[in-house]
Amino acid sequence: MKFLTLFSLIIIILNGCFKSELSLPEVDLLEKQYYNLWKAQAHLYLPIEFNLYQERIKKAKNHLREIESKLFFLRDYNPVQKEFIEILKQGEELSKSLEIELQRRSLLILQRINKIEDKIKNLNNFTLNANEGINLRRNLTKSEILLYEGRSLYERGRYIDSEEKLNNVEKYLDESEKKMSKILNRFKEINQIEKWKKWAKEAIHDSKKGYSILIIKIERKMIIYKDEKPIKIYPIGLGLRGLSDKYHAKDYATPEGRYKVIRKNPKSKYYKALLINYPNEEDIREFYKAKTKGLIPKTAKIGGLIEIHGGGSNSITYGCISLDNEQMEELYGLVDEGVPVTIVGALN
Amino acid sequence: MKKGLILLLITLLVMAFVSGCAKKPTKEIEETQTAVNNVISEGLGKYSPDDEKKLKDALAAAMEEIKTQEGKTFKNFDKAKQMLADVKKNAEELKASLPQKKEAAKQNALQAQEGAKASVEEAKSLLAKAPKGKGTAADIEALRGDVKGLEDSLNEVQSLIEKEEFIEASNKANAIKEKATGVSNQIKEAMEKIKAKKPAKK
Repeated sequence: MKFLTLFSLIIIILNGCFKSELSLPEVDLLEKQYYNLWKAQAHLYLPIEFNLYQERIKKAKNHLREIESKLFFLRDYNPVQKEFIEILKQGEELSKSLEIELQRRSLLILQRINKIEDKIKNLNNFTLNANEGINLRRNLTKSEILLYEGRSLYERGRYIDSEEKLNNVEKYLDESEKKMSKILNRFKEINQIEKWKKWAKEAIHDSKKGYSILIIKIERKMIIYKDEKPIKIYPIGLGLRGLSDKYHAKDYATPEGRYKVIRKNPKSKYYKALLINYPNEEDIREFYKAKTKGLIPKTAKIGGLIEIHGGGSNSITYGCISLDNEQMEELYGLVDEGVPVTIVGALN
Repeated sequence: MKKGLILLLITLLVMAFVSGCAKKPTKEIEETQTAVNNVISEGLGKYSPDDEKKLKDALAAAMEEIKTQEGKTFKNFDKAKQMLADVKKNAEELKASLPQKKEAAKQNALQAQEGAKASVEEAKSLLAKAPKGKGTAADIEALRGDVKGLEDSLNEVQSLIEKEEFIEASNKANAIKEKATGVSNQIKEAMEKIKAKKPAKK
């Protein structure tokens, strides 16, 4: 009897204290697998799947604990071992899914980066060609810096951080595009385009009697017509806010309308110059209308001294139209006072 | 007599085992958790995310071992205590090495910031030499906007450093440096274009 008691006690003690580890080899394998999946950021890229996997591990470990709390000769590891093997398989599946997910994200990020690069390129060209939105370039530069950061995170495999940066880039670019749209909306209005087309037609018609100059702001070009045929096309520079219509002095916009050369200046600060009769009657009317409506400052003056001058087609002006000196020389020789000058925003 | 001795021996044996393994190491748990929390709150994850994960996992494993023992009739927390001691030691060592890691990241960020500053300054001084106002080449005027954007971003680097986001600050500074170098080259190109055009005026 006493030996039986002693034997039982030893069994209980051995069972309780000396066999305390989770003793299946699958446990170690699973821990390694879990750590590798975590390191590969499965918890970030596949959070639902990873949580399910984690939950199963927790349950299996509890099962194992229950088994190990039994007397050692009553322990049956088979069911829990199967459970662990299944979780290991689930982990392998998760690893495959993670690989696919990472490839998918990588591709999406690359596509986004390319799209953003195109947008930046377009905005860059717009701000350079139209002289407009130089302030937009401030945002554009910030976007480029963020894009660089996003790309560098992408290259280091930190896709989520990279996506966050790209979100910020897109925010900046959207703001820039909105500002750009404000400038360009005028060029989408049918009535406005029709008016410009009418002026252009009249300008071409005028060339039956002699030279006629047509300036298309959005295309940054000047066309010289003779007998209704274009005989010269020159690239031009415009005002700092060249795409806007001119309303008053110091708005740095290039006016739109039908004008004529009223004076030739052979010794301009900008090589040679042709002064046009801005403001014409319509400009004066529009100026007072805008003033009454409070669209321009009360103290604003209408301004004047709008010229076609040299200095370079890549120049920024205060509202004048600038040409390369060679072409200014050519134009100066062609035209006399009274030659019509028509300035339109766009023709389509 | 003999029977009594045996029973006494058994009782002593049981008592020895029970007293040896029954106590939950509450103090060790608290100390270890505090050590782990301290090093995490000081930014271990920021400078060494792998170490943070390993530390958390090791603590979780120790806690699991405690849970296992708690479910037993005769508990033995020796292994759990050893695990907790290892975690605590590791946490303390990581905490001790953290200032060095932080300092290294800070120095990197400051160095990158200096590099970026120098590049932005170069772009600014080149722009200062470029013509201003009417007659300015359109691309030079546009590049003024770029330099403003560079300056804005440079300020962001400073605030990242102030927030001790050194790694992020380094990345941004490197990006600024690259962009600023590009802007400087564009300014030089634009100035070259202007120079090249000048003889035509004669």
